[in-house]
Amino acid sequence: MSLNVSTSSGLQRLTVQLAPLLIVCALVFALPVLLNNDFLLNKVARYLVLGILTVSLGLSWGFGGILNLGQAMSFGLGSYAMAMALKLKTVPVHTGADGLPDFMVWNNVTSLPWFWEPFRSLTFAVAAGMVVPALVAAALGWFMFRGRVTGVYVSIITLATMVVLNLVIIDQQSYTGGFNGITDLAQLEIFGVAFDAYGRATYYLVSGCVMLSLLVAFAFTRSRAGLIVQAIRDHESRVRYFGYDVALYQIFVFALSAAIAGLAGMLYTVVMEFASPTFLGVQLSLSVVVWCAVGGRQSLVGAFLGAVLVAGVQGALSESAAFLETWTLVMGALFVLVVLFLPKGFAGLAQAVWRWIVQRRHVAGQEVTPGVSQTEGST
Amino acid sequence: MTSHLDLRDVSVSFNGFKALNALNMSVRKGELRCLIGPNGAGKTTALDIICGKIKPSAGTVIFSGTPLQDLEEHEIARAGVGRKFQVPSVFRELTVSENLEVARARRTGVFDNLRWDLRNSGREHVERLAELVGLTEQLDRPASYLSHGQTQWLEIGMLVAQDAELILMDEPTAGMTAQETRKTAELFARLKGKHTLVVVEHDMGFVKAIGDIISVMHMGQMLAEGTAAEVEAHSDVRRAYLGSGGISNA
Repeated sequence: MSLNVSTSSGLQRLTVQLAPLLIVCALVFALPVLLNNDFLLNKVARYLVLGILTVSLGLSWGFGGILNLGQAMSFGLGSYAMAMALKLKTVPVHTGADGLPDFMVWNNVTSLPWFWEPFRSLTFAVAAGMVVPALVAAALGWFMFRGRVTGVYVSIITLATMVVLNLVIIDQQSYTGGFNGITDLAQLEIFGVAFDAYGRATYYLVSGCVMLSLLVAFAFTRSRAGLIVQAIRDHESRVRYFGYDVALYQIFVFALSAAIAGLAGMLYTVVMEFASPTFLGVQLSLSVVVWCAVGGRQSLVGAFLGAVLVAGVQGALSESAAFLETWTLVMGALFVLVVLFLPKGFAGLAQAVWRWIVQRRHVAGQEVTPGVSQTEGST
Repeated sequence: MTSHLDLRDVSVSFNGFKALNALNMSVRKGELRCLIGPNGAGKTTALDIICGKIKPSAGTVIFSGTPLQDLEEHEIARAGVGRKFQVPSVFRELTVSENLEVARARRTGVFDNLRWDLRNSGREHVERLAELVGLTEQLDRPASYLSHGQTQWLEIGMLVAQDAELILMDEPTAGMTAQETRKTAELFARLKGKHTLVVVEHDMGFVKAIGDIISVMHMGQMLAEGTAAEVEAHSDVRRAYLGSGGISNA
């Protein structure tokens, strides 16, 4: 959200709003220069992927007012789509005919199930990793938003749907790898470039996707449709009486958010080298909510940084024995504090500080040069 | 002259309570109609029926020859009906200009609105609207910063931005100072003629200042219709307001 004095042109405003986003992307791209450690870069790439996932939640929660507690469902669907494609590219030692995945052989499956067939194509898998979550979200959204389900009920329905899918995946071991997930994957290879989880190529692939998702989300929130979605968040029925079909806007932002989460899920498989039912688990899904709230759900960059930093600190701390168990407490306390004192997260705090600085400068500048245009804002 | 809005035998009941009981009302094009009546007479319910918030259990609502009673709210809005709510309803976290921008619903489809407006082409129009409702200074502030009266005006401004043929106003001056009420009356006089207005109001001074014809509702039915003087002289109306010393004190 931005505050602008009418003298500032649209382009000027855009620059100010885009600046934090581009700075963060530049830092992400520059990190390998400073951090010459492939093991750590892989870890950072993991946090960046979680950042994308959190941006996707920010889009539906912070901008659309739809608190999706099952955001990890889309993430998991994307993750499995990628894992299925990469599994079919492996040359396992003990497989059945036609490179049947090893866990299917163990479960006495003799031929590849029909829904695995299309995943022989990587292009199909990459498309499915985003389209399937988007379609599932659109279908779920159609029922919820057409039926005018709002607030906590949306959260319960999305959470429950995710849990059901999670249980189905665990239950259908012969087709999904069950509790173990899908492991022993081939390396992703696009146009001859191999994406080793610990290689620079993967890091830059993730960084590129970070930038892409932030820009797509930014472009949407800046559009007129994005404005209408925020209006729906503030007062749903008011929007309806201006002639907008509210449900369609909600379905759109819900599906867009799911597609971005699906992209993050695919990258997660590449970075982690497996897919697991925990990727669409309750714990991850709720963690995303916390990261989003801490970073600032109404700020794309805030949500992204919230995930990267909190998950990063969590990763570092949970390696020491002292914090392994207490981390959950630390995170819970952080969440409570933010909800109580920073309803817009740290991004809201940063915006307030920035506004204060600009205003002071403006007041000081006015004494010397009256009429200096004042521009405030942040993405 | 043919009527612009026609309610015929409209009934609706909530848990057995007949909020509207065969209500009839017709409003001419460009007219400013005031709707008054004691509490619980069904004034707000009548507006809810017209804009689709509540579906009638019987009867028809015809607007410009189109039956509205089976349409969804957004379809009714697209047909040219705008509604201001009793509780001021604005987008609190959006700025005043963004509020007005959303209300200017030229295109309503999702994909039609996936576009940027870098040149800020609607800005001039928004500035004119803000001037009309006296919010020029507040254009770039979030709507949550506005006073109660200013919030009322913002919503009125949003209805002007929507440019609906028929504007329904539910107690537009509630919570306004005398001066603000006077300015609102001036604004309504300017809207009259270009738009058809139906205004629910309690403030009789305001009603007398703006209204051509006043409709008095009582127990879900139309009790009387006429000019302020005619209505005040009407014996049924006096009886409906019995004990409150005439409608001027209602």
